[in-house]
Amino acid sequence: MECMSWLSRLNPRGPGSRSGRSAAPSSPCTADPETCLMVFENHWRQVSWVLEKHEPSSSSDDLTAVRNHTDQMLCLLAEERPAESPEGGGVPPMGPILELVVTENILECLVQWHLRRGLDPDSQGALLKLFEMLIGQSQQPLLQHTAVLHPLLRLLGACADPELGCPSALENSLVLLLNQICVSMARQPVVLEMLFRAAPAQQGSTNLLIFSLLVPFIHRDGAIGQQARDALLLVMAASASHEAVARYIAENSYFCPVLATGLSALYSSLPRKIEVRGDDWHALRREDWMCVSSLVLFMNSLEFCNAVVQVAHPLVRSQLLDYLHNGFLVPVMGPALHKSSVDEMIASTAYLDLFLRSVSETSLLKTFLRFILLHRHDNDTILDTLLTRISSNSRLCMVSLSLFRTLLSLNCEDVMLQLVLRYLLPCTHVMLSQRRAIRDTDLYGKSADKFLSLIPECCRLNAAPSTERDEDSAFWGKGEQQTVEKEKFTLTAVVIKTPPRPSTPSRLAFFIRQQSSGGGSGGGGPSTPTGMEPLQSGPSSSHPLSPDSPMHQQQTHTECLDWDSGYLEYLKDARRGIEHCSWACRDWSAPYDGENPSPNTVPPPPPPPTSNPSMAMFPEHFSFQQGGSSNTPPGEPQPPGDSNGQGISIEAFTQELRELEDRVKERSRPACQEEDTARESLSAERQEEEQQLSSALEVKLTGDTKGEGTVVGLCSPARPLNQPASQPYTGPFMVVLFAKLENMLQNSLYVNILLTGIVAQLACYPQPLLRSFLLNTNMVFQPSVKSLIQVLGSVKNRIEAFAASHEDFPAMLKKAQQYLVARGKVDWTDSPAAVPPLRRSDSLVKSRKPSLGDLILRHTNSPTRARHAAQLALAHVRDGGQSLHSALFKGSAGASGLEKQAEALRVKNAVYCAVIFCEFLKELAALAQEHAVSLPFPHSQEAEE
Amino acid sequence: HTNFWKSNNKSDNEEQGGHGEQRSSPARLSFGKKQLPPIPKNAAPITKPASTGTPTQSANGTHASYGPFYLEYSLLAEFTLVIKQKLPGIYVQPSYKSALMWFGVIFIRHGLYQDGVFKFTVYIPDNYPDGECPKLVFDIPVFHPLVDPVSGELDVRRAFTKWRRNHNHIWQVLMYARTIFYKINTTEPLNPEAAVLYEKDVHLFKSKVVDSVKLCNSHLFDQPKIDDPYAISFSPWNPAVHEEAKERMFTYKRRPEDHHKGTQVSGLSWVKPGSTQPFSKDDGSPQS
Repeated sequence: MECMSWLSRLNPRGPGSRSGRSAAPSSPCTADPETCLMVFENHWRQVSWVLEKHEPSSSSDDLTAVRNHTDQMLCLLAEERPAESPEGGGVPPMGPILELVVTENILECLVQWHLRRGLDPDSQGALLKLFEMLIGQSQQPLLQHTAVLHPLLRLLGACADPELGCPSALENSLVLLLNQICVSMARQPVVLEMLFRAAPAQQGSTNLLIFSLLVPFIHRDGAIGQQARDALLLVMAASASHEAVARYIAENSYFCPVLATGLSALYSSLPRKIEVRGDDWHALRREDWMCVSSLVLFMNSLEFCNAVVQVAHPLVRSQLLDYLHNGFLVPVMGPALHKSSVDEMIASTAYLDLFLRSVSETSLLKTFLRFILLHRHDNDTILDTLLTRISSNSRLCMVSLSLFRTLLSLNCEDVMLQLVLRYLLPCTHVMLSQRRAIRDTDLYGKSADKFLSLIPECCRLNAAPSTERDEDSAFWGKGEQQTVEKEKFTLTAVVIKTPPRPSTPSRLAFFIRQQSSGGGSGGGGPSTPTGMEPLQSGPSSSHPLSPDSPMHQQQTHTECLDWDSGYLEYLKDARRGIEHCSWACRDWSAPYDGENPSPNTVPPPPPPPTSNPSMAMFPEHFSFQQGGSSNTPPGEPQPPGDSNGQGISIEAFTQELRELEDRVKERSRPACQEEDTARESLSAERQEEEQQLSSALEVKLTGDTKGEGTVVGLCSPARPLNQPASQPYTGPFMVVLFAKLENMLQNSLYVNILLTGIVAQLACYPQPLLRSFLLNTNMVFQPSVKSLIQVLGSVKNRIEAFAASHEDFPAMLKKAQQYLVARGKVDWTDSPAAVPPLRRSDSLVKSRKPSLGDLILRHTNSPTRARHAAQLALAHVRDGGQSLHSALFKGSAGASGLEKQAEALRVKNAVYCAVIFCEFLKELAALAQEHAVSLPFPHSQEAEE
Repeated sequence: HTNFWKSNNKSDNEEQGGHGEQRSSPARLSFGKKQLPPIPKNAAPITKPASTGTPTQSANGTHASYGPFYLEYSLLAEFTLVIKQKLPGIYVQPSYKSALMWFGVIFIRHGLYQDGVFKFTVYIPDNYPDGECPKLVFDIPVFHPLVDPVSGELDVRRAFTKWRRNHNHIWQVLMYARTIFYKINTTEPLNPEAAVLYEKDVHLFKSKVVDSVKLCNSHLFDQPKIDDPYAISFSPWNPAVHEEAKERMFTYKRRPEDHHKGTQVSGLSWVKPGSTQPFSKDDGSPQS
């Protein structure tokens, strides 16, 4: 069906629709068929006279005459309608002119004559155009007549001839003709058969001439490339049910290798470095790449691959996928992802993310995922490599997080297995007595309560007594001020009179959670008519509400908002997220509930890496504009190899110098902060100690706890005897996410937004193993396993310590909230203008102004201009940031600029962190509650599709 | 004394014990073969005014306002568990006015009470889940040793001597209400007459039961006892109304609320069942 609509799209000129192109002179006659035939015969007589001269004449008079007559003849042929159908329908017989053309083999004679006298480019072009006109405009089917098909193939053969070839000036005509042929072939599949079999003997070697002529244009830029790809797709679609043609394409043509290696070539011309100064940039959006011609070319070809995979015969499809894997992903993408320069890592990661988001065909996606999960480059899987980069402290981290977000959004069992589940499957992370609790949900809101209880006291305060009322009103608008001040969580209250937000908000937009206007349908998405179809709504969908319900109450008091209205939005989001996720996972092979697959039979997951390369591997490349934190927690060793000079630009180098400077200066920070850092280094030490001691601890603990000892005995026989009792390890993904999370206070705002987004995304998964690991705050884990609640607890402490040491924390907190709200508003108004048709939603990357990317990427060849453009483009965003900045840190004009900036950044990150943290806790609490009330979806086979 | 819901788990740490599988509906196995149409799920469990709902100990009182959500969600979660249990012949629906009151009906398909259709109401204490066990009251007092002949209340407490959160669930109460009609217990009866008759003159008992079933069924089309939009009411089969509803029940396929068909590649899995290796499933399009 898809195919059909797509065919009609590719068929710009149906029969009879004269599009006024001037390939043929206008018809001299619209008269009756008999007159036309007479005129035609007259022309033909005069042409024959020239053609029958024995000496091939070189006279240009002859040529002119023949061409003039031919024009007239072919025009008449194209205009001719088929004869009246005989009684009872059936195929209408040929019109008289066509009949004459067939019986006298007129076209063959004409083409032969041209070829004999040597085809000059001018005539060649004229012939191509004439045939194109004929095929495109003919009123009756022509190609199934060998008298038409053979001369056509002869002409095309000449174009394929290595000596004669097709001059580049004629390429457009050639491709257009080929495109026309393919269109009529799509209409009459029999033509494909004929094209395939009935090629003239001299062209025997490539019996699908059309095809081989088109292939070189696959990766062409502009209209000609598009026409060629469209035409090829038509051949592909037609061949899907035609084994012999498919086999030919797979075995005798270069189609698949050309397509795959072409991608490689195009990839190599992509910018190595993505010049962006936006501190929040983390993924390529459509607007970003539309103006980068090399990327557009690549994406066109990738889209074409996607389309071929969609329509082609399985033989062709699997060959193409093989070539893509072995001819593009492994030799090109693999090394690109492992480049040593950070810029290149950033670029290649962003590209890979873009590709994954752009591919819609399942089998193509599978090829990409196989590559990511299984392919080993220098002993590490691509996944391993990507994982280590989350811990880097730069833009690379954000781009990597964004890629993982994309991966998680696929709801793919294989991905989740490799990332998390295989580490949780043995259930060694939980105390044995706890295994049964894996499937428990948060029935009574205990976990939710626990999460909410972690909201730091300092963030619960009412908004600071507003001394800056005037300033505020610029943000909040009049009339809402009162509400704002009353609130604990002002964020939720802001935008009342805005349109429903788009269904793909950034996480920034989520700071402007909007009061819902209708029952259960939340701030976005299509609202279901409430109460209309009681049978169709489960307990977890929208209903008419009781007058006493808290939900109901919220609807009635839209004007006086209080903070749990925000919580209601979180609940709705959580419900949507969980429903969507469990729907998407309904066909997984197992429930992952701690029993199936059985913990005793699963293979042991890979052990943790001995050293922790992830921590040391990546230098921190960021600048103040990028918003990255320049505070390496002092407890951490300085990354070695930081400035070994390789692939580092002067710019990066100066940045690094600056950072070094900052680090030095940090050591002379006020006492309260030293406390802070002391705690950090302490916890880092403790962490290390913990790791060293944990096996000992484990033994001790299992010995201590009553009843545990026997249980250990119970499970150990299942393990191979020679296997050392490995320490429970929840896998690199969880470890790196938790480490990053623990460091929230130092992370930049955007890292935290992405990071918390990923954890929330993980927490939507309904698999009890994962759900209990993240959301069951009552679970008792093995001592060496850190739980989410522990990590969050330590963040809470740090925030409170920070707040205690900053008098103006409440005011700053409020400012930060305001900024985020204002910022979210900007994002919100960026409606998803043009979502590419083939693609899944680019939901992750909506957090920037659209024009930004164009401006920046357009100038990749000129860094200076790029920077200038970026500055211009970012001016408006900056404004918000600057005003916040100056508001937060006014008056400290004394200290050196750099020192001031470093401290400012540190404070800014911490304050933003506090805001994000509270929202994140609400999000997690809502997820815990919603899991308890969600119902699983049946397998799609059980419930038809 | 029979304690219907014996728990083997001695741990009194309420948070750490799950509902173990040994408790998962012993009775269900014997009746589970019949697949029932899905329970109509048009109910939104709703709490009483927020004032009643502070079930969890909000130690510092700072997030007490989440209380209504907790109670509402706890009851919604209980209702979700009921749905998951697919109890044979039992249908419940929380009332419109309060999530603490559920309407129900039970169909008895064989045994002494065969063809009985008994409507009932479940009252959940407002300090749920920390209070007493829920009450279950039949609309019409069925003739049964454990059903109060005047109030129609079923003696639930004998099965749940102490209501323990995390261990006891409302579906168990419903299950218990069903069990009494198949396995008659006469100890410490609420209806001594029924108990004595059952012991001494089972024929008379049976005929009284038949009368009681008839009586109940004859009141089936009565207006619901409690006026509530979500109360369960029966009416004679009317194709114009019921045919369509039935059709919808049987054809209904639940989808995510904001599910747009074809917007997302989903359900991706190439894991062979029983394997934990990625891409272990052979999906017919081999790749080298």
